[in-house]
Amino acid sequence: MNAHPYAFLALFGAVAVAFPLILLAVARLWFRFFQPPKPSLDKGAVYECGIAPSGDSWIQFKAHYYLYAILFLIFDVEVLFLLPFAVAFTTLPGGALVAMLVFLLLLAEGLVWAWHRGHLEWK
Amino acid sequence: MNYLELLRALLPETALVVGALLALTFDLSFGVRQSRETRLHAAVIIGTLAVVAAMFGALSAGVADAVFGGVLVLDELTLASRLGVLMLAWLTLTLTGGTARLRHPAEFVAIVLFATAGFTLMAAAQQLLVAFLALELASLSLYILAGFDKSRPESAEAALKYFLFGGMSAAFLLFGFSLIYGLTGSIELPQIAHQLARQGQSPLLSLALVMVLVAFGFKAAAAPFHLWAPDVYEGAPVVSSALIASASKLAGFTLFVRLLWPGFGPAAGSVATAAGSPGWLPLVACLSAASLLLGNFAALAQSNVRRLLAYSAIAHAGVMLLGVIVAGDAGLGPLFYYVFTYGLATIGAFAVIAVVERAGCCQKITDLAGLHRRSPLLAGCFAVYLLSLAGIPPLAGFFGKFTVFAAALNLGGLAGPAGWLALLAIALSAVALYYYLVMLKQALVVAPADPASAPVPVPADAAIVLVFTALLLVLLGLFPSVVLRIF
Repeated sequence: MNAHPYAFLALFGAVAVAFPLILLAVARLWFRFFQPPKPSLDKGAVYECGIAPSGDSWIQFKAHYYLYAILFLIFDVEVLFLLPFAVAFTTLPGGALVAMLVFLLLLAEGLVWAWHRGHLEWK
Repeated sequence: MNYLELLRALLPETALVVGALLALTFDLSFGVRQSRETRLHAAVIIGTLAVVAAMFGALSAGVADAVFGGVLVLDELTLASRLGVLMLAWLTLTLTGGTARLRHPAEFVAIVLFATAGFTLMAAAQQLLVAFLALELASLSLYILAGFDKSRPESAEAALKYFLFGGMSAAFLLFGFSLIYGLTGSIELPQIAHQLARQGQSPLLSLALVMVLVAFGFKAAAAPFHLWAPDVYEGAPVVSSALIASASKLAGFTLFVRLLWPGFGPAAGSVATAAGSPGWLPLVACLSAASLLLGNFAALAQSNVRRLLAYSAIAHAGVMLLGVIVAGDAGLGPLFYYVFTYGLATIGAFAVIAVVERAGCCQKITDLAGLHRRSPLLAGCFAVYLLSLAGIPPLAGFFGKFTVFAAALNLGGLAGPAGWLALLAIALSAVALYYYLVMLKQALVVAPADPASAPVPVPADAAIVLVFTALLLVLLGLFPSVVLRIF
């Protein structure tokens, strides 16, 4: 018997659905038979790596480092474009070099802007 | 691969990007100790110069065949669309100088210029990757512009919704493009058309077309993919809404009509008969009918001016889609004329809203009450814009509707689905007239809620925008052949 070439996808889909459902069912059964609900203040408290929690869990998180991540990404991608350019450098015309320099200039202007506006200072 | 030729073709984009960088540099060096007002005006002046330079660039690039190995094309549509987009961007910039209160003026102007560069590139793109990159450059700039007013939560909400919807549609578009590439082995539109004509219909092609059209629907705010439009129009800063509603529409429809007819033309199918052969035309017809019905009827229930304009934009997107359908037969003239005059009228309407909001009113329709007493100029121009949007002769909106509907009726007569679509659009124009007149009644007839209410001051820059757009709408309505002759 020859299976359809895409039959494995159906099998894959069935397993992908069944696997989490089985796990959830097992967890539900465990809860039903072995874990009677006895809520208490301590059990409902915020988990803070084992020690007694202090304060609310709804605090603002300092996420300033996303700026560094974005700036890093700019230059990361720049390298990605520069590498194939460097590999093919000897066969490229002069216009390509100018185009690449313009590309670098645009990215550099972005960094200069962020620097001048004080976005690189840790507040 | 001739780089000088490429540079000449991309003169408008170069001018815009250089202008944006200059505006930023000027603000970083000389603007540090200046007041916000001075910095805004300096940035707007630099931006305006860049837009004017870009217009000259577009004219000097002229009309040529495929450029740089077929990546770009400089035909009449490119030239007209670039000039139209640049004019709408100039109006937006002038309006920014007159009415906007921004914390970061130079950045705002720079991003408007980047978005405009994206629009002009969209108008020239003839290859799927360049088209996608141009679209994303424009879209990313517009997301930022929508969220530029950080002091209002509505603005952030508008930006987030626009970004999520736009990102989703970009994914659809890219998936559709990748399937097209897989089917035809090329990303250049002429080759794609050649291959599609040889291959004929296939299920995979249908899937690709549906993907591309879903993305198209999102970008054009056509029903049922319109949900972002009311929130963005309402929440974004007025100037950003004006740009999103006008220039972005013109560039988007230019890109998609180029994609659909010269690129996917062989897979168009037909709407000439009731059964319709498979292809993208019947799908576009469905989108058009849905947008017409939903946009016009939902607009009736609105009490917020900007939301009303958003629903009217959805309804107008329906007519523009009809323009896309007829473009294969009647040429690009009707579609371009319609979208361009729609952009002018919309930018004018948003200019009125911007001036009124600057004077301290909020956005309810009833806040327009007594505008004729408080500022006759505003009320008069508002009447021109709304009547043009409704399609009353002799304004440009009337002639736009007329050419599109006439072309649709020529396509298979009344019996064909295009004919029915035209009839539906004509009938719904009457509905549209009602809600435009509701707004006009408040502006022109109703007495001010507070008899002692102060006159609305109109800044000089905003007055230029108002008078220019109103005059242009009247003149284009009287002499439509000026635009139609281009094609």
